[in-house]
Amino acid sequence: MKAKRISWKEIKRQKFLVICTVCFVIYGIIFYYIPLGGWIMAFQNYKSRDGFFGSEFVGLAKFKFLFSDSTFLRVIRNTLAMGVLNLVSTFFMAILFAILLNEVRLAIGKKFVQTVSYLPHFLSWIIVTGILHDALSSSGIVNELLIKCGILSGPINFFAHKGYFWPIVAFANVWKETGWNAIVYLAAITSIDPSLYEAATIDGAGRWAKIKNITLPGIKPTIMILLIMNIGNVLNAGFEVQYLLGNGLVKSVADTIDIYTLTWGVGQNDYSLGTAAGIFKSVVAIILIVAANQFAKKSGESRLF
Amino acid sequence: MKNSKLQRVLAFVLLAVMVFALAGCNKGKSGDIKEYTMFIAMPGSEINDDNEVAQIIAEKIGGRVKETWLTGQSAAEAVGSIIASNDYPDFIDGGDGMMALYNEGVLVPWDEYLESGKYPNLKEMYSDKEWESFRQADGHIYWANVFQNNYGENRATTHNDEAFWIQVKVLEWAGYPEIHTLDQYFDVLTRYAAEHPTTESGVATIPYTMLCEDWRYFCIENAPEFLDGYPNDGSVIVDKSSGTPTIVDYNTTPTAKKYFAKLNEQYQAGNIDIEFATQTYDQYIAKLSTGAVLGMCDQWWNFAYTINDVFKQQGLDKQGCNYIPLGLTIEEGMENRWHTYGDTLNNSSGVAVTTDCDDPDAAFKFLNDLLDQEIHDLRFWGVKDVDYLVDENGLYYRTEEMRTKAADPAYQASHLCNYSYMPQWLGTSRDGINAMQPTEQASEFLNGLAEPLVKCFQAYGADSYPDFIGSVVEENAPWFPMYSFSNAMTTETPGGVAWTKMGEVKHEWLPKVVMSKNFEETWEQYMSAYNAVNPQDFLNEMQQELDRRAAS
Amino acid sequence: MKRKKVWKTKSSVADKIFVVCNTIFLTAFVVVTLYPVINTVALSFNDGIDAVRGGIHILPRIFTLQNYRTVLHQQNIITGAYISVLRTVIGTILALATNALLAYVVSRKRFIFRSQLSLFWVITMYVNGGMIPTLILYRNMGLTNSFWVYVIPGMIGAFNMLVMRTYMEGLPEGLEESAQIDGAGDFRIFASIISPLCKPVYATVALFVAVGQWNSWFDAMLYNRMASEYTTLQYELMKLLSSVMQQGGSANPGSSTAVAAVTPVTVRAAATVVTMLPIICLYPFLQRYFVTGMTIGSVKE
Repeated sequence: MKAKRISWKEIKRQKFLVICTVCFVIYGIIFYYIPLGGWIMAFQNYKSRDGFFGSEFVGLAKFKFLFSDSTFLRVIRNTLAMGVLNLVSTFFMAILFAILLNEVRLAIGKKFVQTVSYLPHFLSWIIVTGILHDALSSSGIVNELLIKCGILSGPINFFAHKGYFWPIVAFANVWKETGWNAIVYLAAITSIDPSLYEAATIDGAGRWAKIKNITLPGIKPTIMILLIMNIGNVLNAGFEVQYLLGNGLVKSVADTIDIYTLTWGVGQNDYSLGTAAGIFKSVVAIILIVAANQFAKKSGESRLF
Repeated sequence: MKNSKLQRVLAFVLLAVMVFALAGCNKGKSGDIKEYTMFIAMPGSEINDDNEVAQIIAEKIGGRVKETWLTGQSAAEAVGSIIASNDYPDFIDGGDGMMALYNEGVLVPWDEYLESGKYPNLKEMYSDKEWESFRQADGHIYWANVFQNNYGENRATTHNDEAFWIQVKVLEWAGYPEIHTLDQYFDVLTRYAAEHPTTESGVATIPYTMLCEDWRYFCIENAPEFLDGYPNDGSVIVDKSSGTPTIVDYNTTPTAKKYFAKLNEQYQAGNIDIEFATQTYDQYIAKLSTGAVLGMCDQWWNFAYTINDVFKQQGLDKQGCNYIPLGLTIEEGMENRWHTYGDTLNNSSGVAVTTDCDDPDAAFKFLNDLLDQEIHDLRFWGVKDVDYLVDENGLYYRTEEMRTKAADPAYQASHLCNYSYMPQWLGTSRDGINAMQPTEQASEFLNGLAEPLVKCFQAYGADSYPDFIGSVVEENAPWFPMYSFSNAMTTETPGGVAWTKMGEVKHEWLPKVVMSKNFEETWEQYMSAYNAVNPQDFLNEMQQELDRRAAS
Repeated sequence: MKRKKVWKTKSSVADKIFVVCNTIFLTAFVVVTLYPVINTVALSFNDGIDAVRGGIHILPRIFTLQNYRTVLHQQNIITGAYISVLRTVIGTILALATNALLAYVVSRKRFIFRSQLSLFWVITMYVNGGMIPTLILYRNMGLTNSFWVYVIPGMIGAFNMLVMRTYMEGLPEGLEESAQIDGAGDFRIFASIISPLCKPVYATVALFVAVGQWNSWFDAMLYNRMASEYTTLQYELMKLLSSVMQQGGSANPGSSTAVAAVTPVTVRAAATVVTMLPIICLYPFLQRYFVTGMTIGSVKE
C-alpha cells in the first residue's frame, strides 16, 4: 500500500486521518512552534522591561560574540566529543543489555535484573556523582583495587587529569541509564514472532546464531529510529554531570555549551546570548538528523520522516 | 469495548479534578490578619503554615509572611522567570537579580515612607548617609539590606570572616606560640604533622588543604588581599596610601606571587592535600570532620556550623580539633584587617516591596513592626520560658535542652519564625543587657566551648574569636565593601566580561601554579593567560565606582 | 513448556559457555548498578551529622529514622503527593491516548500527509523557544497558576510517538487490509485491531510518561511558584535538595542563618528513596507486557 497522491478525493476518503492531523498540527503549532517566536531574542539585546517589540535589535551581534570567542569553539569541541562518546557507549550498552537479558531463561532472575537495572535512572546526578567521587578518590575502591593488583604504585587523582574526564562522564551515563534505555528494546523484542526462534532451534541454530539472525534484525527498525533521533542530540551532552564532576584543572575539557550559556547567558540575565546558542544547537541538530535520515533512506532502512 | 471503559475512567478522573479545583477556590481569609507573600532568591527552609511564633507575631502586629525560597535555579534565572510571569509577591529579595527588578520598574520607592515619620524603626536601621548608598540612578531608594547591621554595641563573638585557621591541639602542642606570618604558620603545621602522622583514631594527618570548587574557591584565591593587610573588599584592594583611593589588583602583587610560591613549595614537600584541586565541598567537609586537617584558609560560615556539630558529636572537640583563626600577614609586624568590626553594608540587594502589593502602607508598617524589640525577641530568641529563660539581672539564657531544640529543623519549622530576610538587628538589645540574637550572647557562647578551646582562650588572653586575629579597629571606609559592586556586574560591560573571564582563568591556573614542578615558568604562563583577558577593563570600572563612592 | 524442553536438550557447549558468560556479565552489572541504590538507602537511615564523616557503604553506621521524619514533615507534602498522583494518572492517560492516535495516523502507509506530519513532529524535538517565551505563552493562555499546565502542554511528545510508530509499522499489514475489506473505519481499526497488539509499546510509553510526570518538578516551580495548592511532591522534595545545587553566589555571608541551612546528605538520600518507591512498585506491574512474543505469536498472517 503506497501513499497516494494528494487530491480532494483522497482527502475525503481519508477524512478521519486528515481531521486528526489538523488537530495535532494545531496543538503542535500552539505548544511547540509559537514559542519559537522567542528566537527573535537572539537578534536583540533583549530586556524584559522592553519586551520582544521594544528591545533593541542588534542583528547578528550575539552570534558574532559566540563565534569570535575561542572559549565557545572549545566548548563546542567538548560537547561534541562527550556527546558522541555518550551516544556510542550508552547505545551499545543498552542494546547489549536488552539482548543478553532476553536470553535469561529463569523468569525470576530476569525480572529481578531488569527491575534493578532501571533503578539508577531515579537517582539524581548529585547522588551519582557523589558516589563516583568517593569511588575514584585517592582512598577510594578503584585506586585500592588497582594498587592491590599491582597496576599502580600509588593512588592517582583521576579528576586531576584531562584524559580521564570524558571516559568518566561516559561511564557515569552508562551506569545511570543503561537499564532505562533498554526498556524500549525489550519492548521491541516482544514483537518478534516466537515461531522464528522455534524454527531456528529445529534447524539446530545456537544462541549466537539466533541473536544474530533473529533478535538483531527484529529490533533493527527500533535501533535505527533511536539512533537517528539521538544523533540529533549529540550537542545535548548536558551540563549537570560536567558541572558536578568538573573542576578548575579539567575545565578546558569539561565545559559544555550548556555550561557556557549558563555562565554567560542566564547567570548574567543575558537571555539573548542563551537563545543564540540554543538556535545554533537546533540548527546543528536538524542538519545532523536530516543527513542521518537521508543516509537511512538510501540504504533502505527505517527512517524518521 | 476497551475504549468506552477508558472513557469512563477518564471522565471519572476529570470529575475528581473539577471537585478538587473548586475546593481549592474556597480558601478563606482569616480575620484581620494580613497574609503577605515573599520570594527570596536564596535557598532556605520554609516554615509551616501553622508555625506557632508566626501566629503570635501575626496576632500582635496583624500580619504574617508566606516565604518562598529559591529552588533549583540561579537567583537571576528565578527573578527572570518571575518577571516573565508578571506575577509578583508582596515582598521580594532578588539577590543577584535585584537590578533586573529595578529595571523592570516593579519596586515601590521607599523615600516617602521613610520620610513620613510613620515608620521610625525602619528609618532607624541606617544613618542618612547609609540610606544614601541605597539610592539608585533614578534618585530613589528601593530596598534595604538587612544583614550585618549592629544596634548599639557590637557583640560579635565569632570571627564570621575569613582567616587562616589552625587546630587548637596544634597550638597546645607548640606551647601557644605567636604566629604572624605564612612561614611561621606552615612551620608549626609541618612540625606537628611530622610528630603526629595520624590522628588519635588513626586517620592520616593532612597538614593543609584548600577548597577550589566553583564560587567557594575564595579559599585559595583571595588570601593575598588580607596578607597585605587590607580589608575584605572582596574583588580588589583599595590603596589609600597616596591620598586618593586607588584600585589595586591583588592577583598580581608581589605578595600574591610569594603566597603561591609558598603553597607550591609546601605542595612539593607533600604538606598539602593532593586532592585539594579536585575535591568537592562535600568531600572537603567530610575531610575536615575527621579532625585530620590541621589548617586551611576559609570563611567561618563556610565550615564552622557543620564541623563544630560533628566535632561535638564525635567527641573530637575534647581532643582539640576545633579551629582558631590567625591574622597572618606576608611580613612580620604588619597591621591586618581580616576581621571587619564595623557593619558591612552590602547595598546590592535587600528586601523590597513590589507594585503588586495592594497596600504598601500596611506592608511598610509590617516591616517597621518586625523591628519592635518585643517582636525582634520573638523572632530570634523565641517564646519566653519556652525557648529561653531570664535570670534575675534580666539576662536571657538557654538550657542545654533548649539549645538542642532550637537547632532541630522540625522544631524550627513548626515553632520558630525568624523571617530571616526581613529587617533585623545584630548587636545589643534595646534593654542594654542582651544581644539582639542568641548567637552573639557572650554567656551563651562561652558555655558552648570545649575544654581545649577554653585553655587556648586563656593562654592567649582572648575573650572571643576576633581577639585571636588582632585586626586594626577602625571605621569602614565609605566605599567598603567594593564587592557589592563587582557582584552586581554583568557581561554587558567590558569590565563585567573581564571579571567573568578572570574568574575562569584563575579557576584553571591557580591549582596548576600550586602543583607545578617549575613554579616560575608556570607563574609566567598564568600571568600571560591572566593578562590576555583584559583585567584592566575590570579594574577601570571598579576605579570609577570607587571614585563615585568616595565622592558621595 | 515444550519450547523450553527443546532448548534444554539441545544446548550445545557453545550455548553453555554463553550462559556462563551471560550470568557473570549480568551479575556484575547488577552489583555495579545496585551499589549506588543500596548506598543511598543506607545513607537515608544514617544519622546526619555522623554521615558527614563519609565512609558509609552498605549499612548505616548510626541508625535513625530522623531523615524520613524530616522529609515527611516537609510542608505541603500531602497536597504535593495528591497533585503528583493526579497529574501522573491524568497525564499518562491523556498522553497515551493522544500519542497512540498520532502514531497510528503517521504509521498508515496509505496516508497522504504521512511524511509531512512526521517531519512536523520530528522538528519539535530539536527546537525550543526557551523558558521566557514559553512562560509568556502559558501565562496568556491562563495555564499558569493552574493544574492543567502539568498535563496539557507536554501531552504529545515526538519521542513517544516515534517509539509507538516504529512498533506499529512492524505489525503485519494484512491485519489492516482484511479489516478494511470488512468495512471497518480508521477509528475501529485503531481501537480494536491495532491497539490490542500494541500493549508492550503502550506499556513502555506509559512508563516513560508516568515516570516523567512523577519526577518533574521544574514546571511546578516555574508556573505555580506562589500557588502552593498546586505544588507537587517532587517540588517539595526538591526544596530540600536545592541548597546544594546553588549556582554562583559570593564569597560573602548573606547571613549566618541562611548559610547554616544546607541540607544534610542523609536527608537528600531519604528524599530520593521516597521518590523512587512508588515508581519501583509500578514497574513489575507493567513488566508483564514485556514477555517475548506474547502478542504477535498468536496472530497468524
